[in-house]
Amino acid sequence: MDLSDQQLDMLKEMGNIGASHAATSLSQMLMSEIEMTVPEVVVVDISRINKYFSEEISAMVVFEIQGEIQPAGYIIYHVPKSSAIRLTNTMLGSTDEDRDFNEMDESAITEIGNIMISHFLDATAELLGVVMLPSPPMVAIDMALAAFENILAQVAGDINEIILFSTELKSTNNDISSTIVMLPEEQTLKQILTLLNNLINPEI
Amino acid sequence: MEKQNPDCLEGLNVGIGEYKTRTTQISSIGLGSCVAFILYDRKLKMGGLAHVMLPESNGRSKRPGKFADTAVPHLICEMEKRGSSRRSISASLVGGASMFQQFKGNLDIGKRNICALKEHLSKSGIPLESEDTGGTSGRSLHFFPEDGGKIIIRRADGKCYEL
Repeated sequence: MDLSDQQLDMLKEMGNIGASHAATSLSQMLMSEIEMTVPEVVVVDISRINKYFSEEISAMVVFEIQGEIQPAGYIIYHVPKSSAIRLTNTMLGSTDEDRDFNEMDESAITEIGNIMISHFLDATAELLGVVMLPSPPMVAIDMALAAFENILAQVAGDINEIILFSTELKSTNNDISSTIVMLPEEQTLKQILTLLNNLINPEI
Repeated sequence: MEKQNPDCLEGLNVGIGEYKTRTTQISSIGLGSCVAFILYDRKLKMGGLAHVMLPESNGRSKRPGKFADTAVPHLICEMEKRGSSRRSISASLVGGASMFQQFKGNLDIGKRNICALKEHLSKSGIPLESEDTGGTSGRSLHFFPEDGGKIIIRRADGKCYEL
């Protein structure tokens, strides 16, 4: 599917609003400043996904987007393993970085992801005037690419190109980097674009 | 962890839904629920690999490497085009993990991929020589047709071994 420059801009702006709400909640949880990149919207061929996800072991917290639009797609909070350990350390006031990822980390990351993604979807849903809710979180601690494949298998049966939104959220003080990735179904994307278009050109 | 330069992998790596036949190294990184369908011709020291994502094509034939039912005949045909004879080909399967225990949608796609590949493979009459499938962790594999069809697998939990 081809997107015009204006459509890309609208999607970026929507991602920007969602991600800044997520960043605010992360900043409150960590009590530190969070830097956020300008959201990227890319159309990627499924055979080239390895450019966006690597073999790096990461915590992947995955949510199905539920609500008025079904099936709407997925949204993922992706934290590389070393960052994930520092993230839970920061929250729990621990400093031991030289350890393995444990159950405590897993539930902490899941909860952080849950809070952030809820804020992300709340903000985008409010902008669009629809209901979008995250499903209960699903977690994998594995190669980021391998975990992403599982999700891709759910959406990319008929299509060979997917649209990815991604924003990086960083805490420089604590050396934590993480990414929010949204993978909308094509139908959802069309609907989002229509809604955004109505926002920009309201009919009186 | 050591980070691999993606540019070095370019050309070697078989992305999702793709396939390749060569006489030198072929790789497939980050296999989750996808399965690498591997063929090796011991006479020509030639290999083929398809990165299969789903079990059934349901008539979608644009990317034969993407689906189990099209990947098996297509990759065999590609090997034969390069001079292989079926009698000297054997097959291996790697991947098909199920990483999200909570995933309800489309029950265990990894297992379904493996079953479908085995079914189509047995129809083709090519023997399944080795496999490393299922489980709950992702895998990367490097396949060396020039070196007797050696397959090196690295799992997400850090284990590295030869198939």
